[in-house]
Amino acid sequence: MSAVAHIARAVNAGRTSALSAAHEAARLLRKADADGLNATLHWSEDLLRGEAARVDAHVGAGHAMLPLAGVPVAIKDNIVTTEQPTTCGSRILEGYVSPFNATAIERLRAAGAMVAAKSNLDEFAMGSSTEHSAFGRVRNPIDHERVPGGSSGGSAALVAAGVVPAALGSETGGSVRQPASFCGVVGVKPSYGRVSRFGLVAFGSSLDCISVFGERVDDAARVLAAISGHDPHDATTADRPPLELDGPRRDLRGLIFGLPKEYFPADLDPGVRAGVERTIGAIRDLGGSVKDVTLPHSKYAVPTYYIIAPAEAAANLARYDGVRYGVRRVGPEGDVRALYRATRGQGFGAEVRRRILIGTYVLSSGYYEAYYGKAQQVRAAIARDFQLAFTAQGADFLLTPTTPTPAFRAGEKTDDPVAMYLADIFVCAVSLAGLPAMSLPVGRSAGLPVGAQIIAPMFEEARMLGVASALEAVVPAAGEVR
Amino acid sequence: MKIGSEQVRHVARLAELAVSDDEFPRLVEQMGRIVEYVAQLDELPAGPERSAFLAGPESVRLREDEVRPTPLARTPAQMAPEFVDGLFVVPRLGAMEEA
Repeated sequence: MSAVAHIARAVNAGRTSALSAAHEAARLLRKADADGLNATLHWSEDLLRGEAARVDAHVGAGHAMLPLAGVPVAIKDNIVTTEQPTTCGSRILEGYVSPFNATAIERLRAAGAMVAAKSNLDEFAMGSSTEHSAFGRVRNPIDHERVPGGSSGGSAALVAAGVVPAALGSETGGSVRQPASFCGVVGVKPSYGRVSRFGLVAFGSSLDCISVFGERVDDAARVLAAISGHDPHDATTADRPPLELDGPRRDLRGLIFGLPKEYFPADLDPGVRAGVERTIGAIRDLGGSVKDVTLPHSKYAVPTYYIIAPAEAAANLARYDGVRYGVRRVGPEGDVRALYRATRGQGFGAEVRRRILIGTYVLSSGYYEAYYGKAQQVRAAIARDFQLAFTAQGADFLLTPTTPTPAFRAGEKTDDPVAMYLADIFVCAVSLAGLPAMSLPVGRSAGLPVGAQIIAPMFEEARMLGVASALEAVVPAAGEVR
Repeated sequence: MKIGSEQVRHVARLAELAVSDDEFPRLVEQMGRIVEYVAQLDELPAGPERSAFLAGPESVRLREDEVRPTPLARTPAQMAPEFVDGLFVVPRLGAMEEA
């Protein structure tokens, strides 16, 4: 039984209390902080006790069972909460407390979960290593010299270290699947529109998705089901009921997994390749089959993403000007534009400033059509490639590596933004197409986790999670792949 | 397309972003590499017949363009730190008003 199911069942049955689960979460959070993971930005035992009291009162009153009763969940610090600050890992929002909770937070609490901690992230979710937080880099619990991936590196590290069984992150271009792969945990990105973005601090609005980490598939699935569904506060949520889980599958008979040839380049890390090949073997053993497919526009996904996401970021981050939002710095020239420039110049870190400048450039007069207009057309072509893989090419799901290498060393890519962007080469096309996808840990290479990515057609999360749980049962996540 | 220092200065002004002289050369170099990298989309043919992408599920795409009230998720009074007589109370923009 998964940790989430185990805790919820025990609390609902009165065999343990949410308060007891809260004390254990606090002990593990203290340990993670003492170990130097730097994965949390805000948490307190008092707040955890308050969360637990709410759940215990509900259970004690004999109300309906809560699907996440007493489950501690870490929350990426770009998802707003009223009881803790929400900084987005940025100096510009230092001390900011939201007047409302994100819909995902309201739904987690209604399901009985406890907000355990706000987790560290790349500033405004811009990064692939969680080295771009204004509050210091997050360490990978498996090897502290390596990055946990990003931008949701704090949430991934807390799940990998066993502090919480599940956590919320956010994806704009792979920011949950990539750190899940680097830390050896499960990371699930839902379809765009499956989970409300209300209360997720906007980065790239046509791409952003609140997403979920779990120790195991079932942990992530239960949390995703609780936060999913239409929300009148977010016009881009699909008019669908909350996700209903299919339950675990025992075999994969009749299912065809497409292997896109563009995701298996000659220079793919041998350990990553071995992990995916082990997964292919498991698919066959469970009665499924694989076939080669093609996604011809794959090589254009990263450049397309690095036009669209910065363009949307430049527009979304205009509000941090020291007047509407942001810690105000008075400009030396004594006028309001100097105030804006000083606030933004000093408040944002290097990567955020780079992306705002790129985004402003590609949207500026004379360049808009050449960059943004073109990127939107290529985005449509990338989405069509996936659609054809699931129809004309006959795949039920796609299977790829999640990342081209295991976790890299801290500092290895910080001076080369393009090299850092390429860490997301296998995850960002899915984000452009809005599809659901997940990373499943499928072994270790020289001690470092490797992940396999399963990509599903739009709104097929339940089937995707079902096949992932079948694979999880037979592919050892902790075993060496070679 | 190449991006030079004058363009970076222009874009920084458009973005209302102060950039220090110390960091400027490195920023120009990094932005140049990024712009050069994303310009590989030029390899693909473009044309008005190629449609752009719309995010989101079919059900939320392009509703009728009707003028109608858009209810706020929360009232301004609930959202604002201070809200008096229908107005937001904000900190004084000291530097501007002293000028």
